[in-house]
Amino acid sequence: MSMHRILIAVVLLLVGLGATAGVAQDIESIDFPKLNDINIPDVEKVTLDNGMRIYLLQDRSLPLFNVNCRINVGSYLEPADKVGLANICGDVMRTGGTEKWAGDEIDELLEGIGGTVEHGIRLTEGTAYVNVLSEYADLGMEVLSEVMRRPVFEEDKIELAKVQARTGISRRNDDIAQISLREWQKIMYGEDSPYARHSEYATINAITRDDLVAFHRQWYHPQNIQIAIRGDFDRKKVMALVRKYFGDWPAGSVDVPPPPPVDYDWRSQVYYIEKTDVEQSYVRCGHIGGLTTDPDYADRIVMNSVLGGGFGSRITENVRTKQGLAYAAFGNYISNYDYPGYFICVASTKPQSTVQAAREMIKQTRSMLTDPPTKTEMAQAKDGYLNSFVFNFDSPREVINRIMTYDYYGLPEDRLQQVKERIEAITPEDVMAAARNNLRPDEMVVLVVGDASRFDVPLEELGLGPVTQIDITIPSGAESEDLVVDEETRAMGREVLVKAAQAHGGLDAFKKVTGVSRKATLTVTTPQGEIPLAVEELVVYPDKSRSVVSFMGQQMYDIRDGQTGWKPSQMGGVEAKTEKDIMKEDRERGRDFIWVLQHADDPSFDAVFVGPAKSGGVDVHMVAILDDKSEEIARFAFGAENHQVVSISYWGETFMGDGMVTDHVNSMITASGLTLPKVVQKELNGQKFGKVDVTELTINPEVPENAFAKPE
Amino acid sequence: MKVRDFRTLALGCCLLLVAASAGFAFDFSEIENSVTEFTLDNGLRVLVMQRGDAPVASFVTFANVGGANDPKEYTGIAHMLEHMAFKGTRDLGTTDLEAELEAMRVEDSLWHELRAERKKRDLADSARIAELEAAFEEAVEAANQYVDPNAIWRTYEEHGGVGLNAGTGMDMTVYFVNLPSNKAELWFAIESERFYRPVFREMYKERNVVAEERRMVLENNPISKLLDQLKAAAFMAHPYGIAIIGHMSDIMNYSRQAVKEHLDRYYVPSNMCVAIVGDVDPKEMHKLARKYWERLPASPPPEELATVEPPQKGERRVYLEDPAQPFFAAAWHIPHERHPDWPAIEAMVDYLGQGRTSLLYKDLVKEKKIAAQAGAFAGMPGSKYPSLALVYAMPTTESSNEECEQAVFDQVERMKEELIPAAEVEKIKARAKAQFINGLTSNQGLAMQLAGYEVLSGSWRNMFNELDRINAVTADDIQRVAREYFTRQNRTVAHLETTK
Repeated sequence: MSMHRILIAVVLLLVGLGATAGVAQDIESIDFPKLNDINIPDVEKVTLDNGMRIYLLQDRSLPLFNVNCRINVGSYLEPADKVGLANICGDVMRTGGTEKWAGDEIDELLEGIGGTVEHGIRLTEGTAYVNVLSEYADLGMEVLSEVMRRPVFEEDKIELAKVQARTGISRRNDDIAQISLREWQKIMYGEDSPYARHSEYATINAITRDDLVAFHRQWYHPQNIQIAIRGDFDRKKVMALVRKYFGDWPAGSVDVPPPPPVDYDWRSQVYYIEKTDVEQSYVRCGHIGGLTTDPDYADRIVMNSVLGGGFGSRITENVRTKQGLAYAAFGNYISNYDYPGYFICVASTKPQSTVQAAREMIKQTRSMLTDPPTKTEMAQAKDGYLNSFVFNFDSPREVINRIMTYDYYGLPEDRLQQVKERIEAITPEDVMAAARNNLRPDEMVVLVVGDASRFDVPLEELGLGPVTQIDITIPSGAESEDLVVDEETRAMGREVLVKAAQAHGGLDAFKKVTGVSRKATLTVTTPQGEIPLAVEELVVYPDKSRSVVSFMGQQMYDIRDGQTGWKPSQMGGVEAKTEKDIMKEDRERGRDFIWVLQHADDPSFDAVFVGPAKSGGVDVHMVAILDDKSEEIARFAFGAENHQVVSISYWGETFMGDGMVTDHVNSMITASGLTLPKVVQKELNGQKFGKVDVTELTINPEVPENAFAKPE
Repeated sequence: MKVRDFRTLALGCCLLLVAASAGFAFDFSEIENSVTEFTLDNGLRVLVMQRGDAPVASFVTFANVGGANDPKEYTGIAHMLEHMAFKGTRDLGTTDLEAELEAMRVEDSLWHELRAERKKRDLADSARIAELEAAFEEAVEAANQYVDPNAIWRTYEEHGGVGLNAGTGMDMTVYFVNLPSNKAELWFAIESERFYRPVFREMYKERNVVAEERRMVLENNPISKLLDQLKAAAFMAHPYGIAIIGHMSDIMNYSRQAVKEHLDRYYVPSNMCVAIVGDVDPKEMHKLARKYWERLPASPPPEELATVEPPQKGERRVYLEDPAQPFFAAAWHIPHERHPDWPAIEAMVDYLGQGRTSLLYKDLVKEKKIAAQAGAFAGMPGSKYPSLALVYAMPTTESSNEECEQAVFDQVERMKEELIPAAEVEKIKARAKAQFINGLTSNQGLAMQLAGYEVLSGSWRNMFNELDRINAVTADDIQRVAREYFTRQNRTVAHLETTK
C-alpha cells in the first residue's frame, strides 16, 4: 500500500470515529484512475453530383433528427446602401413562404409537431438547422429544401422583417454592451467595412423584394452548401431523403468572392461615448487580432488563457477578484477564419473606477511581455486545455459540425490533435514569444461608454493622447447626407423661397401675417377603415397656438403660450409641456408654410437649396430648412415652373408612429390674397395614412381672450 | 419555444413538461432504469445516472434554498452565499490558514463596529466612522495577503473541468461542473468540503463584485428594471417581489457572519441533493459519497417559508420612465408548480405566447405589426410558491405600449371566450413532448432535472411522470384556468415609458 493510501485510510478512520478536527481532504494525494478512451464517432461524407456536401452521424440514443447547414454566403456580399439585405433575405426565406407552402403554413406544420426549422444569413456564412422527432425526418428535410431552394418572399413578411429591423435600430443604444461592441467593430475594421457596418433606417427602407429574390438566386446553389445530419436515422433512408429533396437541384455557376481583407492602422487612441443613464461604464481596450490559420494559433490559446481566460487569468483575477472592480472582467484574443479577429480586455465597472479598470487591464496586458507565466499559470492554461480535451468530442453535434467547418476551410480533420500536440510542448518562453508577436500594449485602442462626469479621473489621464468623442445618435433616415451648406446654397435657397412667396400671394403679404385660424377635417387611414377627425386650430406667430382635435365627442387639446403649454395626457385631460417639448416645437416651426415664407429673404433664417427633384411626378426645386446645428428640420418642394408648394417632408412623430412624413399638397385655398394648402395627403414612410382638408381659413383672425389658457 | 425569465440568475424552472400524445410514444423506461438513488445517513440524497459514450460526467449540487428564503434585512444573501462558496476551503485558497483566520476575525470585528456606527445615521460620529473606515480597509488588505485567489476554479480547470458555474434562483441554488469522468473524486473532495467547512475569504471585496453585478444585470438593464418594479407591485408580502440579487443597501451591509448563518441554516444535507450523470459507475459514486459527503453532520431540514401572498383584489399599474425604448409587460397571480392547475396554465401560456403560431405572435407581430416581439410564460420569478404568469410585448417604432396592451388583453379575453380546438391541444402536447426529449440530450441537463425534481417535487421519478400531467389537460381546463386566473383584478401591468 502506497504512502498516501495509508494516510487516506487513517483519515477515513478518524472521520469514521467522529473526529471533527479532521484533516482537510488532500487533493494532491488523490489517485485518479486513467481516463477511458475517447471514441470519436465516425462521420460519413458524401458529395452529390451537383456538388452539395453531406455529412452523416448516426446516433440512436434518442428519437431525434437534427440537421445543420452551412451556406457559403454572407452579409459581406450585400451592397453598402442596403445594409441589412442579407439578414432580411435569410429571415424571410424561412418566414415568407415557399412555392409549396405559405409562411404561416410552415409555422403551423412545424409547431404542430414540436419541430423547428430555422435559417439565417450572418457575416460570412448562412446557416440553417432542423430539429424534429425522428418520425418527422421527411417533413423536416422537405421544409429545409423548400426554404433554401424555393422561397417566395411574401411581401407581408418582408414588411414584418423591416418593422423588426427598424425596431432593432431604434433600440440599439439601450444597452451599453451592445453600443460598445458595435462601435468597437467600426473602430477596428473601419465604419464602412462589411465586418462593422450596420443597418440604418435608410438602408432598410431601400431594400425591395426584387433585391431579396436576386440575392437568393445569386448565391444559393448546391455546390455552395453543406448539410450535416445526425440523429436517429437509417442510413439508406436518410440518403434517399437527401436525394429526393436536394439531388435534382441543378448546380449553378457561382463565383463567391472571398471575404475582403482588413486594413488596420496600429495606433494608440482613446474614444468616449456618452451615456449618462447608466450605473456602470463599459470599458474596452485592445487592438486587431489574428486568423485561426496563423502559425502561432495554438500558442495564442495558452497566452489567452493566462491573460484573460476566466478566473485565475491576470485580468479577471486583478480587476474582479483582487480589486473588486467588476463582475464582468475578461480578456480575449479572438482569431477568426475569414478575417482577423481582435484582442480585447473588457470590464464593466462603476463610473468612479473607470480609468482605474482601464489602467489595470493595460498593465496586465503589458505584463505578458515582461513577466513570464508562472508555474501555476502554465498549469492552469496547459493542463486545463489538455485535461478538458475530451470535451471537444462529448457531443455528436460538436463533432459533426467541426468536421463540416474544417472541410469548408480546407483544414485537416486532425487539426485539433495538432493543436493539442503543440500545446503539450509549449513552454513559458513560447507564451512570451506569442505575446511579443501579437500583443501591443503601447498601441491599444480604448473605448469607454459611460458618463464622464462621474469618472474617477478624466480619460486624458490615461496618457494615450486626446480623447475622441463618438456621437451615436441614430440617423433619422432623411437624406441629409446630400446637403451642401454654404453661402451659395443659402442664397439659392432664399431665391426659391422668395419666388414661392410671390407665387402664393406676395412676400409682403406674408410678412403681414400675424396669425391664422383653420378648420379642417383630418381623415385617418387605419386597418379598421377611415376615421374622420375634426380639427380647429389658431396660431398667433411666433409662439402661441391652440389646436383642438375632436373625435366621437372627445376633445384633445394642444396649447402653446410662449414658454409654456399643454399637451394631451395619457390619462385623458392635459399635462404641461416640458422644456424639451417647447424647444422641439420652436425648432419645428421650420415646417410651418407661412412661417417659412415670411422669412424667405431673412439671412438669419437657414434655408439651403438642395437641388432639383421630382415630387409626385412634378419637377420641383428642393429647399431644406436647417436648425442652428445645420440639421434638417424640413424639406420643401416647390414647382420648378409655377413655384408653388408641391410637398413638405420631415422626420416626425405622428399618432401612427415615427418616421419620414411627407405632406403632398393636392389643392389650395385662398384667403386675404394668400394661396395656402387646402387638401394635403399625408404619408408616413411612403404609406398613406391620412388626409387633411382645410374647410375654413382666416388670416389675422380676432383672438378671443384666454384663447391659450389651460383647458378645463 | 419556451421563453425564460430574461435575467434570472438561476436556470429558472427546469421542470420541462412532457407530452405523450396518442401517436408514437417514446419509451423512457430505459433511461429511468439507469438512475440509481441512495440517501446517506446524514440525509443527503445522491442520484447517479450512467450514460453516454464519452468519458465525461456532469456533477450538480442542488440546494433547496433561494432568494425567497432571504431574511428581510439581507435580501440577496442566497446569491452572495453562492459567490462565497467559490472562495475556497481550509485547504484550497490560502497561504497560511491560521494567520488568515485571525486576520478575518479582525476584519469582521472592525466591520461590525463600523456598520453599527453608520447605522446611527445622523447621530453617528463622523470622525469615528472615518477612523473605522481606514482601519477596516487596512484589515481587509491585511487579510488579503494570505489569499490564494480562485483556487477552486484553478483546481477544477487544471484537471480538465469545463463549465464550472453556479446559479441562484428564487427557489433554489445550483452548483455544476463537467469533468473528465476519471476525475470524479476531485469533485467529491472539493464539493463536499466547500459546503462542510468553507472559508469565506475575500468577503468584503466580493461584496463589491456583487454590487457591480447588480449594476450590470439590473440597474443598467431597462427591461430588468421594469420587471423588478412589476414584481414589487404584484407581491405585497411574499419575497418573490424582491430581486434575487437583493437591494443595493442590503448588499453593502452584508457581514461574513450573516453569510455563515445562512449556510448553517440552509445548506444541511437533508436540504440538498447531488446528481451525477455520465460515464460513471454508480457503486463507485456511492463509495465516494460516503467517504466525502458523509462528513457533513446530519441536521433537520430548515423551516419552510410560510408567508402567503394575500389575494390581489384590483389591477395594479407601474410606470418606469427611462431613456430606453418602450416595453410592455403584465402578470397575473397563478398557483405553484405542483398545483393541479399548473399543467393547464403551462398549456395556456404556450398557446397564448410561445412560438410563431401563438395568439400573441400571430396578432401583434405578424398581423398588426405593432410588436417586434411578444410572448407569455408561467413561473416568474420562481414556481415553488404561487407566482406569476407573464405576458410581454416590445412595441415597434410605429406603435406604443398602449396599443400593445390592448391587443394583448384582447387575446387573453379570447382564451376565456373561445375553447381551443382539440387539434390545437394535441399540438401543445406534441411541443411539450419534443421539448422533453430534447432535454434528455445532455448530461448536465439531465443532472439538473433529476436533482430539481427530487428536491422540488419529492422524487426524481416525477420527471418521467410529467407525461401524465399534461396528457390529462383538456381544452376545458385551459379555458377554466384562463377565466379563473387571468382576470383584471388579478393583474399587474407595467410600462417602460421613453423619456425624450
